[in-house]
Amino acid sequence: MWRFTAFEALLGPEDYNPDVTLPVHSSGAGRNAVARNARRSSRSRPAALKGRRGCERRAEGAMWGRLCGSGRILLLAGAARHCGRPHSRTQKLFSTSSVLSATEDEPTAPADSTTKVASKEGAAETPKQKLLKMIGDMKVEVTTKRKFQQLKEQEIKKQATNKQEGLHGGSSTFQNSAEDVQRSKPLNPELVQAASAVASSFPHNKEQAESELLAQLRRHEETTDKQRRGGTINICNVISEMTVKRQSPAQRGVRISNRISLEMDEDGQRIKPGRPSSHSDSGRSLKAGKRLNIFTKASPETENALKTVSSPTIWDLEFAKEIAAVTEQPPRNGFEEMIQWTKEGILWEFPIDNEAGMDDGAEFHEHIFLEKHLKDFPKQGPIRHFMELVICGLSKNPYLSVKQKIEHIEWFRNYFEEKKEFLQEI
Amino acid sequence: MPEYITKSFSPRFSFPQDPTAAHYMFHDDPYLMPKNSATARLFSLSKESGRNAAKYIIKEFPHFFDKILAEPNIPSLMPEICTPQIEGVSEEALRERINLRMVKASVDLFDQLLQAGTSISLETTNSLLDLLCFYGDGESTQEKESEEKEDLEESEVNASEQETPKRPPQRGSHPFASRWRENNNAERIFKIMPERNAHSYCTMIRGMVKHGASAKAYDMYTELLNDRHKADVHTFNALITAVPFLKDRFLERWELIKMFLNHMAQQEVQPNVQTFNAVLKTLRRCGGVGRSMAVPVIKEMEALEIEPSLATYDHLLSIFYRSADLASSGIISEVLDDVEKRSFTPQDPDDAKFFISAMQVCCDLKDIKLAYRLNKAVEKGDNWKFLDMDRLNSYWSRFFSLLCMMEQIDVVLKWYKEMSPSLFYPSPKNILDFLQALDAANHLEMIPSVWEDMKQLGFSKRRDLLEEVLSLMSRDQHPEEIQLAFAKCAEDIKTVHEQSGRDQASVEWTGSALGSVTVLFSRAGRTQDAWSMMERFQQINRIPTDLVMDEFLNCAKQTNSPDEAIKLVKLAASLGLPSSQKLKSRVEKEFKLSENQKKALESIQSDSDSSDSDSDSDRD
Repeated sequence: MWRFTAFEALLGPEDYNPDVTLPVHSSGAGRNAVARNARRSSRSRPAALKGRRGCERRAEGAMWGRLCGSGRILLLAGAARHCGRPHSRTQKLFSTSSVLSATEDEPTAPADSTTKVASKEGAAETPKQKLLKMIGDMKVEVTTKRKFQQLKEQEIKKQATNKQEGLHGGSSTFQNSAEDVQRSKPLNPELVQAASAVASSFPHNKEQAESELLAQLRRHEETTDKQRRGGTINICNVISEMTVKRQSPAQRGVRISNRISLEMDEDGQRIKPGRPSSHSDSGRSLKAGKRLNIFTKASPETENALKTVSSPTIWDLEFAKEIAAVTEQPPRNGFEEMIQWTKEGILWEFPIDNEAGMDDGAEFHEHIFLEKHLKDFPKQGPIRHFMELVICGLSKNPYLSVKQKIEHIEWFRNYFEEKKEFLQEI
Repeated sequence: MPEYITKSFSPRFSFPQDPTAAHYMFHDDPYLMPKNSATARLFSLSKESGRNAAKYIIKEFPHFFDKILAEPNIPSLMPEICTPQIEGVSEEALRERINLRMVKASVDLFDQLLQAGTSISLETTNSLLDLLCFYGDGESTQEKESEEKEDLEESEVNASEQETPKRPPQRGSHPFASRWRENNNAERIFKIMPERNAHSYCTMIRGMVKHGASAKAYDMYTELLNDRHKADVHTFNALITAVPFLKDRFLERWELIKMFLNHMAQQEVQPNVQTFNAVLKTLRRCGGVGRSMAVPVIKEMEALEIEPSLATYDHLLSIFYRSADLASSGIISEVLDDVEKRSFTPQDPDDAKFFISAMQVCCDLKDIKLAYRLNKAVEKGDNWKFLDMDRLNSYWSRFFSLLCMMEQIDVVLKWYKEMSPSLFYPSPKNILDFLQALDAANHLEMIPSVWEDMKQLGFSKRRDLLEEVLSLMSRDQHPEEIQLAFAKCAEDIKTVHEQSGRDQASVEWTGSALGSVTVLFSRAGRTQDAWSMMERFQQINRIPTDLVMDEFLNCAKQTNSPDEAIKLVKLAASLGLPSSQKLKSRVEKEFKLSENQKKALESIQSDSDSSDSDSDSDRD
């Protein structure tokens, strides 16, 4: 069973453990179940790779743990993430790789069915009931998924049973989910409530307003998700950085040649004093003799002109490597080894910065303290309350960039601006 | 660790502080500590070979490594992506394959593009030519194995990208399989190119020179001139290195070099230090002409204010000190004057050879002063970096041999203690030189410790060294303590001979070795051991020398063991040695014999007599 807090919805949760009760947050709404489920299955990967995922998570935990100064809630959120890990991992392991390939396209069908259920039933109900129903839908999702796996194992063709199963699950678990909500009543979904509160202050089509608000939240959830999955983006980064790395020997070569020319400028003028002793004991000397007189010294302008070469060819790259290899020495002590690792970019840079690798050019406070963007909202009232919850969630979301967070707030601002007349009618 | 912190340590660590410690790159584990140069080489390459193995696996089985994400992502820890990302037939895809250095795939794609009638830009074609020329490209109808070979070569290049300091650069010498073949892909593509610029010609010339097709390269150069293009400096450098393969006579070679240099001047190409290095490298193979023309070349460099690199000096030394008459040390001391004044950055792949060849010249000249100067120059600045593992070993081994030859023994010992396991692993020849130096300085009491080192270095089975050690130890009589130590050493050597081989065959006894060991045991008063050695003479059908038997008799006398003395006489008699009579009389005179012993002695007499008479009768 899955339970989400309002914050988590914004946080873009991945594998939340239902057994972990969050002391501060209220739990409830499972609006994002559909999207999440799709995501879950598409993200399935061999169990062996889960460990890596875990590391990733832990790194994140550290990242957000650092921000604990900004409020205790954050710390708890971070901790909860930590606690959540082992269980969810086993969950994933449980859905073994045999199911793995099958799960690729599975959840789309039940998703459709559940949304259908939701839309059908949700037509004429109050917001609260609708909320409850949504939770129920989410449960349906989960159970269908499980059942589905069983079905897979039994090798029953899915298309035929799909809808049936989904509907059946929906109806059977509806009571369960209702119970569940009852049980978790003290932890109410503040955000949804707030949304519905805002909506209820609208004169007409309250449902529409609410669903619009919620839809926006959900959209945001999706982007969060996309960006968290962001493998494709990262691969692009990898490639681009790799090409950069490839070019570096050439750059080094260029640098070397620059240095050479510099040395020439410095030392070339020096007149070498002949040593009388060397003349005396041999007939031959490097000092005596004429030059070939083939070349003339190039003027600085032509030298500069020669230097503007096009991009390095494979010859240049390999020559630079060869030259670099001449004086390449293995590190002679731990310090040199660390220097080398740092140069290669495989050692954490000092001083320790747990935001390494997250270069969106924003400081952490821009991510966290979003109150300043609420200037244009009313100072009090349900909208204010709603927006405060929104920024609270945003401040804890590591997957959105600052720009996206601000855009998200902007959307609400415009939205409420549009609805201003309705609001003022009240 | 920030560099500014670590750099501040660097002067203290510029040379390893603990001379007994192995290099940092080795594992700190008694079983993984190298004992001699062979294991040192092996272990030093182990890390890199592990890395290459990992790369190979990733390259061969990329489908196992499709989930390579991390948060935060550390690109340098990720494997390089060697599979092309762009599908389909397009110039873009071709360029990607060229960048990934996939020779065959690039050629195939190029052909496909051509068949489809797509025009390919000059730039892309040129970079394809670069690729083909650099790798010396095989035929398009390549067999699988040769393709693999190419892959190997590619991975080797990648490895050098990963900076293997140990691998000596072998680009200059033509690497194995990749000779330039008639009408290979590079030539084919070059021919069908609609337009060619100077770069196309230049890269062809460089590729041809690199892969040993010098004559073709020269023809290509003529074509380039006919097309009124200008070659670049690298191309001229390549052509100059190809000169020895183009002309046979020394003077013709020099004329050709001069022609190329003149062409450079005409085409307004500024020479660089590699140009002059190439000239000097070619002059190395021009005998007397080289010796007379080297100085003007250096003068030309000076006039153009091009600082020589270490390779320049290396070529100079080789030009002037190749022949047997090494009369003067003028050139090398001038070279050292220059080298001492400057600090060097690598500019030429041959730079690394300088210190070794300079030390060789010092050795040949037997000039220890020059060697010290050279060594100072090595220690100066970052010059030590030019000596990688292998070169460091041969450098020090030469230096050490020279020291053994020329220096006082205490100085030699000091050097030996400082450099023995940490800087280099002495070669067998070094140990021989060292033993001779000890002998010359009358410091034979050091031999047991040298023997220990020899065991460490894995030389305990080298017969020449064993003989030398034993003969030095057994040559003279020494004070008792030393004799005891020697006897211990001899016992060691005995076990080396007697280790019946689980893994290797044991060393065969030689007569002299056996004799020396016996003498050493006798002098230390270990009669029983000495006697067991005496018995072995008979087993391997060798004859002990008179000296050995005398020593043994002395020993028997000292330890008052007449039985052994009688046994010796018996042995001598059974071997039919002429000295048995003398020994017998000595035994009779010098030992107090009981009645039984006397009888035994007499019986030996008769035995030997009979054998004598037998032989006499035979002779009759």
